[in-house]
Amino acid sequence: MELQLQTVHSSTSPNLYRAISPSSITFSMSEGLFYNVANGYVEGIIRGYRNTLLTGQQYGNLTQCENIDDVKLQLGPAYGDFLAALPPNPPTSALADKALDKLVAEFRYIQANATGSLAKFMEYLTYGYMIDNVALLITGTLHERDTRELLERCHPLGWFETMPVLCVATNIEELYNSVLIETPLAPYFKGSLSHQDLDELNIEIIRNTLYKNYLEDFYNWVNTHPEVAGTPTAEVMSEALEFEADRRSINITLNSFGTELSKQDRKKLYPNFGKLHPEGTLMLSRAEDPEGVRIAVDGVHDYRTFFDATGMGQSGGSGVGNMAGGAGDEGKSLEDMFYQKEVEISKLAFTRQFTHAVVYAWVKLKEQEIRNITWIAECIAQNQKDRIGNYISVF
Amino acid sequence: MSGAADREPVFATRQSLGLMKSKLKGAQVGHDLLKRKSEALTKRFRDITRRIDEAKRKMGRVMQIAAFSLAEVSYAIGGAGIGYQIQESVKSAKLRVRTKQENVSGVFLPQFESFQTEGGSDFAMTGLGKGGQQVQRCRETYTRAVETLVELASLQTAFVILDEVIKVVNRRVNAIEHVIIPRTENTIKYINSELDELDREEFFRLKKVSGKKERAAAAEEVKRQAANKAGTDKENEIDEHSVERHDVLGDQDNEDVIF
Repeated sequence: MELQLQTVHSSTSPNLYRAISPSSITFSMSEGLFYNVANGYVEGIIRGYRNTLLTGQQYGNLTQCENIDDVKLQLGPAYGDFLAALPPNPPTSALADKALDKLVAEFRYIQANATGSLAKFMEYLTYGYMIDNVALLITGTLHERDTRELLERCHPLGWFETMPVLCVATNIEELYNSVLIETPLAPYFKGSLSHQDLDELNIEIIRNTLYKNYLEDFYNWVNTHPEVAGTPTAEVMSEALEFEADRRSINITLNSFGTELSKQDRKKLYPNFGKLHPEGTLMLSRAEDPEGVRIAVDGVHDYRTFFDATGMGQSGGSGVGNMAGGAGDEGKSLEDMFYQKEVEISKLAFTRQFTHAVVYAWVKLKEQEIRNITWIAECIAQNQKDRIGNYISVF
Repeated sequence: MSGAADREPVFATRQSLGLMKSKLKGAQVGHDLLKRKSEALTKRFRDITRRIDEAKRKMGRVMQIAAFSLAEVSYAIGGAGIGYQIQESVKSAKLRVRTKQENVSGVFLPQFESFQTEGGSDFAMTGLGKGGQQVQRCRETYTRAVETLVELASLQTAFVILDEVIKVVNRRVNAIEHVIIPRTENTIKYINSELDELDREEFFRLKKVSGKKERAAAAEEVKRQAANKAGTDKENEIDEHSVERHDVLGDQDNEDVIF
């Protein structure tokens, strides 16, 4: 195939890439030539969607709103029909739901048009939400609730066909043996969780174990799948997934302080890749306080900067969560930093062409946008305008 | 004041007067005591009203912060669904309320007191992947909010109870002051006047009786004196006769020796 490409290129425009090394050109051009055959339409649509993301100017307008109706009005051009059904002065959760509906509708459209590796890629994107849904249903089954009611609470992106079947199971063993096996998440259960574990372990540990397996699988997929490995998709996604893995490791460590989660169990939840792996995660597994976490991430420049900026691990280390409960004068918190970083990675993904990663980036940006809208709406609804500027906008 | 009409239906006797007097005294003492109780309660009531005002303002602030921290959680977690997880993972209440009673001048006011049970929270690991810190902070904020609510609840309960009790006490004070005491006083006055009347009647009657007696006595005296006079003359005669006869008899005795 490469040989063929080489000939195609050299015959069409031989002097175009004289300065660049032939092998890399072969590669990118092969992408350039064939990517659009299968995925060009989808990529175009995604880029169109990206342009409808709210800009800093629009966020500025939103923060000036006096009530939720004004917010609704300001969101009119971007969300249009989806907000039309809302009653006057809707609750912020309804607003967020409608915004999410739009994301889901667009995602479904893209998914319907995706083929080949892109289709699989998009499936991978939904697995993260599936894990949340399955965790929710497991919680429901454990407490013997009517799980049918829970289906409404599930994240629509994490919906899969066999999900309603989960509700059939009445006990955890049945759930494990006959139902979970049929879900797309089965490989993530296999080998790391038995049905006794479902009963005994904290649901959060199950969730994070699944997520760890999912991230590793996804990372492995983008780096080994013949259609994806070596392409910009692999490059961008590796960075994004490594960041996600590191973020989870750091968060799990920070959040586990003061809980009964033992260090050994904690170590099992760290994904086995990422910038922190393996030295950083090893140190994280031994950390006992935010200071220890800071030392562990010292080797990675980005994270060290975050920790320095939030002042964590130094004096008291109070600013762990987002916005840190303060009046905003202490700047951003670690989680804000992570969101910021995630959004920046996503933004940069759009500078690359011929990659599936734009879908991932778009979903992440859209999610952040929904969070921002919810935040702004919440601030307006609760009349707490002094911290309304804590949203994250990159465009 | 309907004056004489407003009195208790008693017979105007000395015994009921004593009864009424002790009743009046009791009513006055009771009135004093109740007045003092009412004042103490009112003082307490004002104090509670002030504290309710403070607590309500505080509650407003705390609830606002709490609601906002929930918004932070949903921002960090990125969507709903966290509520359900937390509800499901909670096994027993960590923040509990116990009651004790406080005695304010004879009124029992329940006081609610919140306390945390031992052990960490059941959902300490919720949001382990992301947002866990926010969840914990939200929990703390809401714990504070609930504490404020509990405080407010005990104040409100005390408020309602005190309000009721103060009303009752004031009603009693007023009833004693404006009904019972005047009525008892009226009754006493009535009894006194009746008794005086009786006294006067009695006195008059006695006077009459004694007048009659005197008159009778005087008449008797007169009669007696008259009789006396007449009697003295006759006696004198008799005496003379008897003396003669006596002498005669004595003589006769001596002479009878012969016989």
